Amino acid sequence: MEILVCLKQVPDDSVELHLKPGTQEVNLEGVTPVVNAFDTYALEMATRLKEAVGGSITAITIGPEGAKDAVKTCLAVGANQGFLITDPSFEGSDTLGKSKILAAAIRKLEADAGKPFDLIFCGREATDKASGQVGPQLAEALGVGVVTDLVDIQQTGTGVQAKQETEEGYRLVDAPLPCVVTVNKPPYDPRYPTIKSKLAARKMPIPALDAAGLGGVAPGAAGSHVVKVYEPAKRQAGVKLKEETCEETVAKAITMMADAKVL
Amino acid sequence: MAYLISEEAQELLGAVKEFCEKEVKEQCKEYDRSGEWPKEIYDKAIEMQLHMLEVPEEYGGMGLSRVDVAALFEEMAKADAGFATTISASGLGTKPVLIAGSEELKKRACQLIVDGGFGAFCLTEPGAGSDAGAGKTTAVKDGDSYILNGRKCFITNGGIASFYCVTAMTDKSAGVKGMSMFFVEAGTPGLSTGHEEDKMGIRTSNTCDVVFEDCRIPASNLIGAEGKGFSIAMQTLDQARTWMGCVATGIAQRAMEEAIAYGKERIQFGKPVLKNQALQFKVADMAIKIETARQMVAHSLTLMDQGLPYSKESAIAKCYASDIAMEVASEAIQMFGGYGYSREYPVEKLLRDAKIFQIFEGTNEVQRIVVANNTIGKF
Repeated sequence: MEILVCLKQVPDDSVELHLKPGTQEVNLEGVTPVVNAFDTYALEMATRLKEAVGGSITAITIGPEGAKDAVKTCLAVGANQGFLITDPSFEGSDTLGKSKILAAAIRKLEADAGKPFDLIFCGREATDKASGQVGPQLAEALGVGVVTDLVDIQQTGTGVQAKQETEEGYRLVDAPLPCVVTVNKPPYDPRYPTIKSKLAARKMPIPALDAAGLGGVAPGAAGSHVVKVYEPAKRQAGVKLKEETCEETVAKAITMMADAKVL
Repeated sequence: MAYLISEEAQELLGAVKEFCEKEVKEQCKEYDRSGEWPKEIYDKAIEMQLHMLEVPEEYGGMGLSRVDVAALFEEMAKADAGFATTISASGLGTKPVLIAGSEELKKRACQLIVDGGFGAFCLTEPGAGSDAGAGKTTAVKDGDSYILNGRKCFITNGGIASFYCVTAMTDKSAGVKGMSMFFVEAGTPGLSTGHEEDKMGIRTSNTCDVVFEDCRIPASNLIGAEGKGFSIAMQTLDQARTWMGCVATGIAQRAMEEAIAYGKERIQFGKPVLKNQALQFKVADMAIKIETARQMVAHSLTLMDQGLPYSKESAIAKCYASDIAMEVASEAIQMFGGYGYSREYPVEKLLRDAKIFQIFEGTNEVQRIVVANNTIGKF
């Protein structure tokens, strides 16, 4: 099975971020770039599928030169080859633009290899902007189906069966190939690279694809625009209730909630 | 300043650090209490190939320089010294084969490690500690075999090793020149493990007696020649003790980092306690000692990599790093105040872990003998 995994390099999500004072720009100084956690789940799920049914995995990312590190990380834990999609004209594009660029890159890689990808994995969302749009938009751009929020996937006689996590439970979805899938947190963790695979990944080439190489693709007009960037409001100090009895305390809390119209 | 390491090792360092933070550091707290050998942590470490960093490239290893490996070991030691000791002691157990073993034995020992095993070095006996030549274990030649009898004690990895490098007397009348070194695989009839030590520290490493009762091994498992066992053992320890210095440095580094973090958070008299110069000077002294120890470790390992004599430097590295690990851990407890004495906080464990590094692989008194002999010379 020919599998493609789309990755995004994001700021380390274990660090609390703040805006630069007086601006709407996030201060990323000293914050380590990492591979988006949902993309690492997608790669692990793709790798397990590859190990079960055979095939190969290609990893791609859009970003500056430094984003090669994200691809390199993936080469050490399951991806067979990786590409960096980079061009100054791609910077600042929104999800719709990114999806168009990814679709052009996928078409180009398919043409170069002389065979199509059967399955395209994305994380359900990126941990930085969390829009969750790229997967479905990419499917639309490619003209194939999409199954979102996977926690498991298996090959079937005609395609794949995807286990989708919903608000209420799980849904099993049969999908023909090719298709796009987006991945939620599965019931396992991504593997660690072995020392040898990490050393081997360092030596693997990561070719770059630019706008000209992708037939002059351009992000095009943005489908969305950012109105405002601001930090979450600081939590207000709570109200401490201490009446004579437990019953009175509860009654007072209920009254206060009723007055505040939260009930 | 950390070790000066290659670019590839810097990348590995990030991965090892992440592994240790997520899989070792917190988990080992509970194992420190129970004394149980945390097999699941070691299984994950083996999967990541952290257990085979010292295996030479020609036998399936990584081909990293010793200083590169030291940076990775220090990261493991910072997370848990017992964890780092298990892995380092496996390297100790392999060294006799690498120093003097046949090509066949080298391949066999390294393959056992690559396949996920650990090695163990069996020198110490109840009556032979610092006086290692006083061992009573015997090996008697019988046709194409040797038959081993005796009891080894305080053997790191004794209960979990895939193979053992064992000293035994082949000629009791010849003193240390009658000692030989043997390669014994786990599962050999007559080989068993005995009393397991309930230790003060490094409780995530396994330490027990290893017993030989008419244990028959092929004659080809003799490492080097008969009578060379003591010399091979001393060469083994000469190399291995720098690694103990490396692990001890990791304990000290962890202690300093914990002390700094706590000193910034703990408010007394309306300000963080680390705002007091008295405590800043403690941290400065810690940093001076740690950096000196680390660079001594690096120097000794560089000498090894370059094929130069390193006996004295290795002894200095081990002795100094373990002495300062005790001092730094003790000062870290002092900076934590009463909380430092509590098992709920991480620093008392570091003191318990550090102590053994002044004792095993040659006590620090023995290290001073080595340094003195190498400094003064014969007269």
